[in-house]
Amino acid sequence: MTSSKYSAAAIVGRLAAAIALLATATIVLAPLVIVLSSSFKDEIEIFAFPATLVPKAPTLANYAALEANFPLYVFNSFKLTAIIVVLQLLTATTGAYAFSKLEWKGRDALFLLYVSSVMIPVQAIIIPQFVIVKNLGLYDSHLGIIAVSIFTAFGTFLVKQFFMTVPLSFVEAARIDGASEGKIFLGIMLPLSKPVLATLVIFSFRYFWNDFFTPLIYLSSPRLKTLPLGMADFASQFDVLIGPQMAASFLSIVPVLVIFMAAQKHFIQGTMSSGIK
Amino acid sequence: MRSITRTPPRVILLFLLPGLVGFVVFLAFPLVMAFAISFTNYSGGPRFRFVGLSNYLRAFSNPDFMNSLGVTARFTLWTVAGQLLLGLAFALLLNKGFRGRGLFRGLFFLPNVLSSIAVGLAFMLLLNPQRGPVNQALAAMGIRPPLWLASRSTALATIIMVAVWQSFGYYMVLFLGGLQSIDAALYEAASIDGAGPIRKFLNVTLPGLTPVTFFAFTIAVINAFKVFDQVYMMTGGQLGGGPAGATDVLVFDIYVNAFTNLRFGYASAESVILLLIVLAVTIAQNRGQRKWVSYDVV
Repeated sequence: MTSSKYSAAAIVGRLAAAIALLATATIVLAPLVIVLSSSFKDEIEIFAFPATLVPKAPTLANYAALEANFPLYVFNSFKLTAIIVVLQLLTATTGAYAFSKLEWKGRDALFLLYVSSVMIPVQAIIIPQFVIVKNLGLYDSHLGIIAVSIFTAFGTFLVKQFFMTVPLSFVEAARIDGASEGKIFLGIMLPLSKPVLATLVIFSFRYFWNDFFTPLIYLSSPRLKTLPLGMADFASQFDVLIGPQMAASFLSIVPVLVIFMAAQKHFIQGTMSSGIK
Repeated sequence: MRSITRTPPRVILLFLLPGLVGFVVFLAFPLVMAFAISFTNYSGGPRFRFVGLSNYLRAFSNPDFMNSLGVTARFTLWTVAGQLLLGLAFALLLNKGFRGRGLFRGLFFLPNVLSSIAVGLAFMLLLNPQRGPVNQALAAMGIRPPLWLASRSTALATIIMVAVWQSFGYYMVLFLGGLQSIDAALYEAASIDGAGPIRKFLNVTLPGLTPVTFFAFTIAVINAFKVFDQVYMMTGGQLGGGPAGATDVLVFDIYVNAFTNLRFGYASAESVILLLIVLAVTIAQNRGQRKWVSYDVV
């Protein structure tokens, strides 16, 4: 049995695995490296063959070209993402509390509705949603995007699952001591749930920072546009320069990249556990 | 354990309301409205009337819609197959203990957190038909390079490739979670019974992975049916849909009919068809899960 570890077949197997991993790593990294490297090149060097990894004549011109519009796009993206993430935290935690620590008729039925709604693609209800937003006078405003984004079935579910692990006796003891529900929620439940709140924050941040579809539908004024919208405008222009596109792409990747590096564990474990019932 | 104190309804409502308002106004109500609008010729103005099933009949006799169904089906088939097979293969590779496996795991997951718009721009440069590095390299090797996004025969395949590139790591992590939830005692028991690696894989690993496979399959199919960003980005924006409609997926067709042509009624009928497809997939998953999943192994 132990000799199989050194058999020819085992060595070939391990070699093949190593090659598959390295080749795939290269394919995964290549587009990101191209973006970063091209963002510091002029148009001629971007398309030079053979391509250079490190720019021969590094330039900041591509980033300078973004000066006119992109600071506003970046600001809009940060502003919208931050507001939505905070509001999602509010709706997810208060909802989770009502579904896990309070008792009322219809609770489980409503929760089932919430959970089932995860499956509904936003693209399939976008027309009536658009009609509602327009009738509320929220079309072409950041408020419209915020309004359609504050409810999160995924987040409510995530936090509720965590709240369920906190023994009801904790809550009961506080109630007997005369604590109000608000006090129990803020003073006991929220401090206990920091890890799950962190997971929700990073997942929401990633989603709304990258969200393209919602802003595309609800925004038309250039001054309101978010970073992904601004970047898409590039590709639809004639005679467009590639360098500034790459600089904008790199800028849009940096925040999620930083969060991913810092909170990789949350991303991986959050994803891993979602598949196991 | 029942609560010993009864919470006043006012307090319950206070906790429930922030999320519930968003759920009702922007999700549940639109869902009902989507069905209602699909039976009208609504176009955003004040005057519209009930038209029965004619939007549905028009859709199924419209070559654009039928084309978009076919394109979406092909996109779904290939991306789901690619994402799940690559995801499973790399999960099996990375489930063994060796140095650097955390690094590979993080790296393969990384594209999943990036914006499809940035990814689209990167691939448009890489795969530029005339001047892109990939085609220049192919030409230098004497291979006639494909036109990628610019050709009717390869545009959809290119978008499928990018979608698999961006998401296989997500499914890999799902499968890794599934692999780690399999009880190690089962492998020991199989060894004692004299099972080799192949038998162990077929009789312990695969049955143990069925719950996560059903979940991953459902998510992958629904995500594939929702595809939009990549198509919009890489095949021409608002006027997109690729060369000769080659990448005109269902959601793109809905988008164009609703927001360019202002045919809300017709586009709602298309949306309802999308909803029914997603519903059917979800129900099939639930049924299949009851029949096939062996929870006792996990």
